[in-house]
Amino acid sequence: MSALRPTHTRLSGWLLAVAILLGAGGNLVCAQPATTDPRYLQPPEEARFLNHPVPDVRLLCQGRPELRLSEVWTKKPVLLTLVFTRCAGVCSPFLRSLKAAVAEVGGAGADYQVVVGSFDPRDHAADMAGTAHHLGLETDPGWTFAALSSDDAQHLAAAVGFWYRWDEGAQQFDHPAMLIAIDRGRVVRLLVGGAVSRVRLEEVVDQLNGKFVAAYPLPGKVAFRCFEYGRGGRLKISWGILILTLPGIVAGCLAWWIFRRPPSRRLHPDGQPAAQLIPAEENHLAG
Amino acid sequence: MSTTASLPASEPNSQTASLRRLTLVWFGVMFLLFPILVLLGLLMRTGQSNWLPQLSPEMFYAILTLHGLGMAGLWFVAVLAGLSWLMARYLKIGLLASRVCLVLTLVGVGLLIACTLFGRFGTGWYFLYPLPLHSAGVWPPWATGTFFVALALLVIGWLVWVLDLLRAIARRYPLRQALGWQYLRDHSGPEVPPMILITTVSLIAAVAGLVSGATAVGLFATEWLKQGFANDALLMKNLTLLFGHLVVNLTLYLGVAMLYELMPGYCGRPWKTKGYVVVSWNAVLLLVLLAYFHHLYMDFVQIRTFQVIGQVASYLTSVPAAVASIFGMLALAYGARVKWTIGSALLFLGVLGWTIGGIGAVIDSTIAANTRFHNTLWVPAHFHTYYLMGVVLMILGAVYHVCQDLSPLPERAGVARLTVALLCLGGYGFLLMFYLGGTYSVPRRYASYPPELAQGVTFARVAVVFILLFLSGLALYLWETGRRWRRAFAAR
Repeated sequence: MSALRPTHTRLSGWLLAVAILLGAGGNLVCAQPATTDPRYLQPPEEARFLNHPVPDVRLLCQGRPELRLSEVWTKKPVLLTLVFTRCAGVCSPFLRSLKAAVAEVGGAGADYQVVVGSFDPRDHAADMAGTAHHLGLETDPGWTFAALSSDDAQHLAAAVGFWYRWDEGAQQFDHPAMLIAIDRGRVVRLLVGGAVSRVRLEEVVDQLNGKFVAAYPLPGKVAFRCFEYGRGGRLKISWGILILTLPGIVAGCLAWWIFRRPPSRRLHPDGQPAAQLIPAEENHLAG
Repeated sequence: MSTTASLPASEPNSQTASLRRLTLVWFGVMFLLFPILVLLGLLMRTGQSNWLPQLSPEMFYAILTLHGLGMAGLWFVAVLAGLSWLMARYLKIGLLASRVCLVLTLVGVGLLIACTLFGRFGTGWYFLYPLPLHSAGVWPPWATGTFFVALALLVIGWLVWVLDLLRAIARRYPLRQALGWQYLRDHSGPEVPPMILITTVSLIAAVAGLVSGATAVGLFATEWLKQGFANDALLMKNLTLLFGHLVVNLTLYLGVAMLYELMPGYCGRPWKTKGYVVVSWNAVLLLVLLAYFHHLYMDFVQIRTFQVIGQVASYLTSVPAAVASIFGMLALAYGARVKWTIGSALLFLGVLGWTIGGIGAVIDSTIAANTRFHNTLWVPAHFHTYYLMGVVLMILGAVYHVCQDLSPLPERAGVARLTVALLCLGGYGFLLMFYLGGTYSVPRRYASYPPELAQGVTFARVAVVFILLFLSGLALYLWETGRRWRRAFAAR
């Protein structure tokens, strides 16, 4: 029985390895999107929309003549967000976090203009003015609250990777919360998430002002980052580094495992157990 | 002293005969693929010379991908095949892993040809993230899938073979002896041929490279198949370059291992393992894993410490190369009555190419220089020098040696000289055009050159002539070696 043990151990090792490989393969095959329409419930891929032209939509603002989005971006860069006033979900907290971040970073109205547009066809200029008032921003020159026509909202959403769909059960629009940075009519950055952090907004504003931003997190779930840069460029090591060390560790472990054979089981090239290693006279390199 | 170092020490038996046949099959694959891959290179330079306007940029990049990956893979398996035969003198070499690898390599190469030449998959050999996933309509999704499957098969096949060769070494030597540590003390242990030492170091590092490649392919495939999963671009580039750098660099070291084994026979002197050789090659095991950082100097998000490590490790890896091997080779040949054949000449000239290309590589691994050179033709210039005129010549020399050993024929001196001369003239002429292109800041990876880069066109045209000379030399080599290969293959 004991003689069989090494074979058993080796066999179990191989079986385990095969199981892991099959498991990994199975994961890959089964890793399909859970939702029926993957366009929804996913954050937009920023890379697909960078430098895309933004449609020159009409901004319907209360008490102001018709304004075009291009009139805004020709004067200064734009931070655009799309919301709807009847939102019982993310819109209100998102706008509050945006307001707080903008206040901290500063520069609204001077370095950039924040445009809040509604994609809901039921929203009118008065509704958006109400939202501005609710947030205490109705007199802030750095903010523009506007309704959009249904067509304009659709064109704008498609161009910047925003999506929305009506949920009959909830009687609400389902949509992501995102901020779109626009410079001279083109998409420069997308910030996706329910809240806007001051650090991320600072990077966006720096970029809009022509400063070089070395790195920033992409919208969506990026797995295994190597590093992250916090405030002031402070570097934080992340999980990706562990994966980067994995090949070396695996190689070391495999080498140890392969070479752990006891001396009594070492062989000559003819397959016979070696009592001793190559005699010097047999080795042509020994001179 | 043996002058036929490639012959296994043990009595000829069915195992040896099978290994010989399998080795010859690998050589046959090399004879078939190498000229095709050179022709693909010729096609690219012809396209850049404006002599082939039919070559679209999409096709150019597909060919670039096949040429790069094909060459890297071909010489990796060719050197493993040669080493397997040479190591059979000391070790019992298994056949199953080599056969599995042969099948997987052939299927992988077939899939690579399909996805590049038919699917127009054109990311370059380095398939940098996220390019394979964003074809912009140039190649269809099936080409992306086929590429990943091909790469996975190749990596698995190579890994199986590498692990099996390590197992063969482990059946005779404990790790400390295989790494030559006994030479660092009082040398009370057994003699270990330098080939075994270098092969052990290289194969352990190769495992790391192949695991890195497998990890990168797995992460690519996960992102491709799973909506909403995104990889970290920096991690992906690190993994990909760790894989690519190690496969290419270790092919070179494994070629040097064959050099250590074969040149003593031609020079009539032993090339022993010594303490400094052991220290050098053990250091390589660590340094080669860190030197790849020099591929990421352009990546400003990479942590600066890694960039410095990349430069220091790159400088230090040249010590084993220069001190232990190149000077060792020169000392071995100096004053010796060297028996010059196509085999020994190509082995020796391979060291020359390694030296010249190695100096270029050290310059390129200097951060200050790299920022100037990185995207110019200087880069293909230096890596083609140590690859084509370095390790490829070494392997061609070793393959000739083995074929001549297995089926000796009298060497025709005139043909031998002409073969070597054409290979060198064609090879170095072709390289010179790359170097001159780099001097004029002609960018690399351009399918065609705009009028502002007219020098690029001129250099490409001259390069085409030199490639044709190289191909003539290669044809003569294949004829001379092929005659011996055919006889050896037919013999029972």
